[in-house]
Amino acid sequence: MIREFNLNDVLYLVAAMRWTLALTAIAFAGGGLVGLMIALLRVSSLPPLRWIGTIYVLAVQGTPLLAWLFVFFFGLSIVGVEVSPWIAAAASYSIYAGAFLGEIWRGALQAIPRQQWEAGSSLGLSFGQQLRYIIVPQATRLAIPPTVGFLVQLIKNTSLAAVIGFVELTREGQLTTATTFRPFTVYLTVAALYFLLCFPLTQASRRLERRMLHGAH
Amino acid sequence: MAPTEQPLVELQDVVKRYGTHTVLNGVSLAVGKGEIIAIIGRSGSGKSTMLRCVNGLEPIQGGSVRFEGTTVNDPGTDLRKLRQHVGIVFQSFNLFPHLTVEKNITLAPKVVKGMAPAEARALAGRVLAKVGLAEKIDAWPDQLSGGQQQRVAIARSLAMQPTLMLFDEITSALDPELVGEVLKTLEEMAAEGMTMMLVTHEIGFARKVADRVVFMHEGRIWEEGPAADTLARPRTPELETFLSAVLH
Repeated sequence: MIREFNLNDVLYLVAAMRWTLALTAIAFAGGGLVGLMIALLRVSSLPPLRWIGTIYVLAVQGTPLLAWLFVFFFGLSIVGVEVSPWIAAAASYSIYAGAFLGEIWRGALQAIPRQQWEAGSSLGLSFGQQLRYIIVPQATRLAIPPTVGFLVQLIKNTSLAAVIGFVELTREGQLTTATTFRPFTVYLTVAALYFLLCFPLTQASRRLERRMLHGAH
Repeated sequence: MAPTEQPLVELQDVVKRYGTHTVLNGVSLAVGKGEIIAIIGRSGSGKSTMLRCVNGLEPIQGGSVRFEGTTVNDPGTDLRKLRQHVGIVFQSFNLFPHLTVEKNITLAPKVVKGMAPAEARALAGRVLAKVGLAEKIDAWPDQLSGGQQQRVAIARSLAMQPTLMLFDEITSALDPELVGEVLKTLEEMAAEGMTMMLVTHEIGFARKVADRVVFMHEGRIWEEGPAADTLARPRTPELETFLSAVLH
């Protein structure tokens, strides 16, 4: 039953963006928490903690996100654990984003000269205080561009959640194509909508970085 | 130093190795309260390493380092507590670039000692006045010259009211015309009776300000004695060679 691609279809696509946004928000929040832990493990002075962080990053970066989605959604239900798509998506995306954000943030932390830590510890600050007052504020500026870069990747990667039933932007585009048979128009619209999400982010990142470059003065 | 008084700092047979390379090979030194010790020697002679052992920045492999009766190299020692009494100033200033001069100085008093913000700002004003930079309290580190940055670093250490100050080649990274202002600050601190250990290449300054000179060579204290005498009449050929090299 082929029909025309009309304004209603565009509105449906726009509505589907909310799932794209919701998935991105969950992935970024969960991945942020995991990433923070991984970054701290990776800069720890205790070798076993560093190993745990390294193994995690190697394991997750070396496996596809799609596999994690399948494992959590279909895999667990085979062994009798029923998992809702939201839980499966939250877990998979947190694991995946955590590995990448952890590495980005580790790099930023390690880019701060050792002497900054030394100056802090010589003044009697604890490891946590050095991190909080001296290292993290400086590392944040370095971390902003790659973090936003990853966030933009993440927005686009939420389309993979379609395999476990989410009708987000890309999936909605597929469905619309199936009824209108206008793949070119539909997918161009989908691409434009992704662009509308991503472009302001990269712009904001540039502004923020410029502002922080001036050491806030 | 009165004979009955316990030294403020006491190094005994300190051995420091990086892998198989021995940097300090049995160093013993006692520093009394109020003393000013200049540590000189070639680069690689172990002088900076020795200084960094005093506040526990360098773990040691043998011997002991004591400060006010506390064994610094004892694993049970709370280094954070110790470092509140031992200030150190580095060659590369190591100011915190994301904080103003005031915040650089007040960070540790506020965070470590729990000082109230208003009190901490007043303290920053006082220590900055000591190094002659009272008007720079709201400046950012990158707005200051090297000499000014180093004086802020000194003020930052002073704000913790240390009993002992360590200076690790603090004028070596400065343009020649900026060395004087930093040395002047050191002289003023010396006049106020601060106990100081300074690694330096400024032989003239060592002669003028230091009570004792320690010459390090190949990881050992090769020669030590009263500053003027030791520098005027070296007893070992190594010190003689070193002095003729640095004094041209």
